Amino acid sequence: MDRTLFRIIAIARNAFREAVRDRVLYNLVLFVLLLTAAAIFIGELSGGQERKIIVDLGLSAMLLFGVFIAIFVGVGLVYKEIERRTIYAIFAKPVGRGEFLVGKYLGLCLTLFVNVVVMGLGVSLALLYVSRGWDPLIVNLWPAVLLIYLELMIVTGVALLFSSFSSPALSALLTFFVFIIGHFSADLKSLSVSMGSTAARWLFAGLYYLLPNLANYSFITPTAHGHAPSAGFIAATAAYALVYITVILAMATLVFSRRNFK
Amino acid sequence: MNDRTKTLSLVLVIVIGIIATVLLARFVDARRPAVDVSVTDESLYLNAKTARRMSLGFNGLAADWYWMRSLQYVGRKIINQGENVALDDLSQLNLTLLAPLLENATTLDPEFLDPYEYAAVVLPAIDVKEAIRITRKGIEANPTAWRLYQHLGYIHWQQRDYAAAAEVYSRGAELPGAPVWMEAMKARMAAEGGSRSTAREIYTRMSEQSTDEKVKDMAQRRLMQLDSLDERDGLHKLLLAYQTRVGRCPANWREIEPVLRTVRAPVNASGAPLDPSGAPYVLRSDTCEVTLGQQSRIIIK
Repeated sequence: MDRTLFRIIAIARNAFREAVRDRVLYNLVLFVLLLTAAAIFIGELSGGQERKIIVDLGLSAMLLFGVFIAIFVGVGLVYKEIERRTIYAIFAKPVGRGEFLVGKYLGLCLTLFVNVVVMGLGVSLALLYVSRGWDPLIVNLWPAVLLIYLELMIVTGVALLFSSFSSPALSALLTFFVFIIGHFSADLKSLSVSMGSTAARWLFAGLYYLLPNLANYSFITPTAHGHAPSAGFIAATAAYALVYITVILAMATLVFSRRNFK
Repeated sequence: MNDRTKTLSLVLVIVIGIIATVLLARFVDARRPAVDVSVTDESLYLNAKTARRMSLGFNGLAADWYWMRSLQYVGRKIINQGENVALDDLSQLNLTLLAPLLENATTLDPEFLDPYEYAAVVLPAIDVKEAIRITRKGIEANPTAWRLYQHLGYIHWQQRDYAAAAEVYSRGAELPGAPVWMEAMKARMAAEGGSRSTAREIYTRMSEQSTDEKVKDMAQRRLMQLDSLDERDGLHKLLLAYQTRVGRCPANWREIEPVLRTVRAPVNASGAPLDPSGAPYVLRSDTCEVTLGQQSRIIIK
């Protein structure tokens, strides 16, 4: 068990280093420029709503940039190793396919963690600047950042699942669809109740429960109004994310274990 | 061509290229035909509900965008008009897109209170039914926000529907956190809705409560207008007293300057009393009336 953990950590650390080497974190520069420009100029355009717009813009950019990283880096995690044939060297060692996938997944999650924390600090600094001092929104910001991170972890898992059996382009497209449909979960649920035919109702109910309910992680707008999610809500969404990710990684491992690299 | 020459040539091409782009952009700008009004006021592609559905988790940001677009839309029209117009009297600007823009902003983020305020202040002159509908929608979405009742009361007051205004202020006054003056406004609306003192109270509260600088500015200009109306009434009385005493109206302000000094009215070098915007009042000696000067920033309507 200890050795398994050790191997997973080694792969995760390597995946993180690779992401840094691939200049994934360069998106932070763009983010900082965006926020700086917003903090300086938005006051002129927003009719006194700088704080709300900084939070909306900062958290939305955090989610958007994070989703792009999760999708485009996530779908290449496995594919690059196969294309470069480095996967043979890895599997020549006593590394299980599940360990490999989980390690890769955790590596990208670590990259995303660094990303959202730095971005969260950036939004906090921008709020300090526009409020000319301490702003209570800075405290409310972090639960929303946590929810965004949980959403990104789910999206990364979905990207990894698709990339375990499909090409990067198709995986990116499918993951993007899941991200979009995941935000329409309320519509899926209402369709599962309102449709005329039983088959259609079952189909939409099935989709509602099978696809990740990402709308639960959208707390950007309430945060901009100074609301924070309750601890119970955060715990429930975190438990949902944990279970969902476990299922996705198990599926990915199942598919990946059956792949023939010869 | 060695490396250094090649680098220098490329840098030169980039610099010249940028300069040429700037010059060409200015050339094209100068020759661009004026934008057709039907294009600038073209209906929004997305209705509010569709916009909300398509915004995924970014509805707050999309609401901000519609909000800033509303401000730019109104601001641009005011600049194009180039006249001394008040934010609450923009009927001549043909702001057909304002209601849909505010509708989208408030549907995307129903807790965003500033667009409701803007709807209450700016929309009544354009489409009062839409102004009332959007503000009521805000009350439905934010039943504890007393400021929305203040906005709705203001719309009814502007329409001279003092009974409706009193009822709205009364409901707002019952909310937790509502200031005491909301209750007083109810009584004032019922007793003297159309009076100048009620107007003064409304604009004072609006100026205190609003977070929007444009709305604050409008309220302060309305307060200046009320001050000016009071001042003109006072000056008219002085002129009438002079006319009764001397048998004619003064030919210029100098003739009654000592009286103006006794009432401590601010006057300029030629003895003319100044309005709250600092411009001299005009004396019409033929009719013995006082009017605003051409340089005055006081709202006329």
